[in-house]
Amino acid sequence: MIKLAIYGKGGIGKSTVTANLSAALAMLGKRVIQIGCDPKADSTGNLLGGTPVMPVMNYLRERDDEPESIEEISKIGYGGVLCIETGGPTPGLGCAGRGIVSTFSLLEELKLFEKFKPDAVLYDVLGDVVCGGFAVPIREGYASKVLIVTSGEKMALYAANNINSAVNNFADRGYAKVRGIVLNRRNVENEEQKVRDFAEKTDLPIIADIPRSNDIIHYEDMGKTVIEGDSSLEVSKRFLALAQLLIDEDEQND
Amino acid sequence: MNQTAQILSIYAADTSGVCSALFELGGMTVIHDASGCNSTYTTHDEPRWYRGSSMMYISALTESDAVMGNDEKFISDLTEVANRLKPEFIAICASPMPAMTGVDMEAIAFDVSHRTGIPAFSVKTNGMHSYIPGAANAFEEIVRHFCEPAERRKGKVNIIGATPLDFSLKGSVESIKQWLRDNGFEVGCCLSMGCTLDDVRAMSSAEVSLVISSTGVKAAEYLKREYGVPYVKGVPIGKSFSRVLADGLRSAAAGQEASPLALRTGESIMAAVLGESIFSASMAAALALDKGISARVIETVGESDLSVLSPFDLSAPDEDVCERELAKHSLIIADPLFRPIAGKGRFVPLPHEAFSGRCFERDIPDLINRELTFLKETGL
Repeated sequence: MIKLAIYGKGGIGKSTVTANLSAALAMLGKRVIQIGCDPKADSTGNLLGGTPVMPVMNYLRERDDEPESIEEISKIGYGGVLCIETGGPTPGLGCAGRGIVSTFSLLEELKLFEKFKPDAVLYDVLGDVVCGGFAVPIREGYASKVLIVTSGEKMALYAANNINSAVNNFADRGYAKVRGIVLNRRNVENEEQKVRDFAEKTDLPIIADIPRSNDIIHYEDMGKTVIEGDSSLEVSKRFLALAQLLIDEDEQND
Repeated sequence: MNQTAQILSIYAADTSGVCSALFELGGMTVIHDASGCNSTYTTHDEPRWYRGSSMMYISALTESDAVMGNDEKFISDLTEVANRLKPEFIAICASPMPAMTGVDMEAIAFDVSHRTGIPAFSVKTNGMHSYIPGAANAFEEIVRHFCEPAERRKGKVNIIGATPLDFSLKGSVESIKQWLRDNGFEVGCCLSMGCTLDDVRAMSSAEVSLVISSTGVKAAEYLKREYGVPYVKGVPIGKSFSRVLADGLRSAAAGQEASPLALRTGESIMAAVLGESIFSASMAAALALDKGISARVIETVGESDLSVLSPFDLSAPDEDVCERELAKHSLIIADPLFRPIAGKGRFVPLPHEAFSGRCFERDIPDLINRELTFLKETGL
């Protein structure tokens, strides 16, 4: 099974990359779950035509009780992708990291993987690994590989370096390993070279190069991924190529 | 009000369940918690603490360590102590604080095992559940880590789910073993009162397991799944139900389905038996067969094995729901601490250590395979 956690600086395009990758995997015939692990709960919107799923933390807050089925806290989106959002506590209150711990524990109790039997699970995680809760997706049993999304912007590369260091700190715990970098271009000066320098320094490959594209924004305004909107676009082909690479690697591991 | 108790006590917590389940097995059990005192888990909830030693410890987690995620301190303390004491295994479990901050207990156990060469595992707890999931998870982990493939021995029976929290040190567990022998069975591992890790290793050689508490269901299911050892749920209370249960064990050993607790009928119910589900359902069955008293179970832990309940039974962990239901019964058999909400029915105290601790320990009767004489004072 493909088990991926996608990390990167806030606003760098993690949710865009994750949703398009989920859609691409689905288009290639895979059964996919996408779990947004950000209190903003905006990971899966473009798989759901803009009609969001109720985040798990909202459910718990409003009902004061745990759901009894996966259906109560999920929605099926484009290509049959099962969409879940952890959400978070009321802004300024509670503990968002704990929200992720609680959500993952709940999904385990509801036997999500046993029931849905996915071929791929994608975790779209908040910008930085700020506390234990945000490292849960890379623990044993969840993601086995991490993708770091970055542009050539200084702060994006800074965050990428922090994420890589955090994951490496857990090397002796059997956590997920960083598989590579997804370059999500912002068209800054010398962007490719800056990211290549970072990749070389951290000994990580750039496994996808996503061009800056107005098509992404165009289809996002319609609540869609570019894969759903027009899979023949160059940007869509990049996501499909990344999906195929991950499928091939997974099949080799089997 | 839901999930509130104004009058009633609460059941021992999951962490106490872990300590109780692992007390006799020669391992080192460490609760990741503040304070350096383990009285909550052992001296209050564990009668064996006064009769023998066991390696039960608290990590003495500080606020600073919790905030900073200083797992290394816990890991190095565990490593140092384990290297000195050489326990058979290391079990760690979380109190509410590490559970809240999402400490990865499994990763810590993995690391400690790697550093010491001693088997180490995490038992899932958060200090906010009852003793049942705590002890159940501990039993499952110990079986998962130590049970080995073995040749089947005809007539051998495991007893699973024995802790003083459900079966105080008043002779009940010894009586269960004797009852098995009297019925021609060989007593296998009694998990975990009076057993060793070697007994655990040989659990797969049993023909059948007897699950005497909800704490034993997960381990029994594991043995069934991994080694094909079937299991039967029930406690041999009274004379007649003990015979039914022994027949159930024979049927299960012969490869047939056996659910002795499912034989109860809900006709003309007058009595209510409160507590953990497998014990209470066994008591209700014994009352029907030996005394002709039709009883329903009111499961009061909230985390017992609800599959043994019949449609006329109820799980009522909330105090006000329980009080409302008790008003419907003319005879109530329950821990003495339920008496204040028991209404006007006749109340027969039957202390349960997981609920009232050692307060009424001396009054806990041995009901195994014998006349239900504890009811005599009520004229029944």
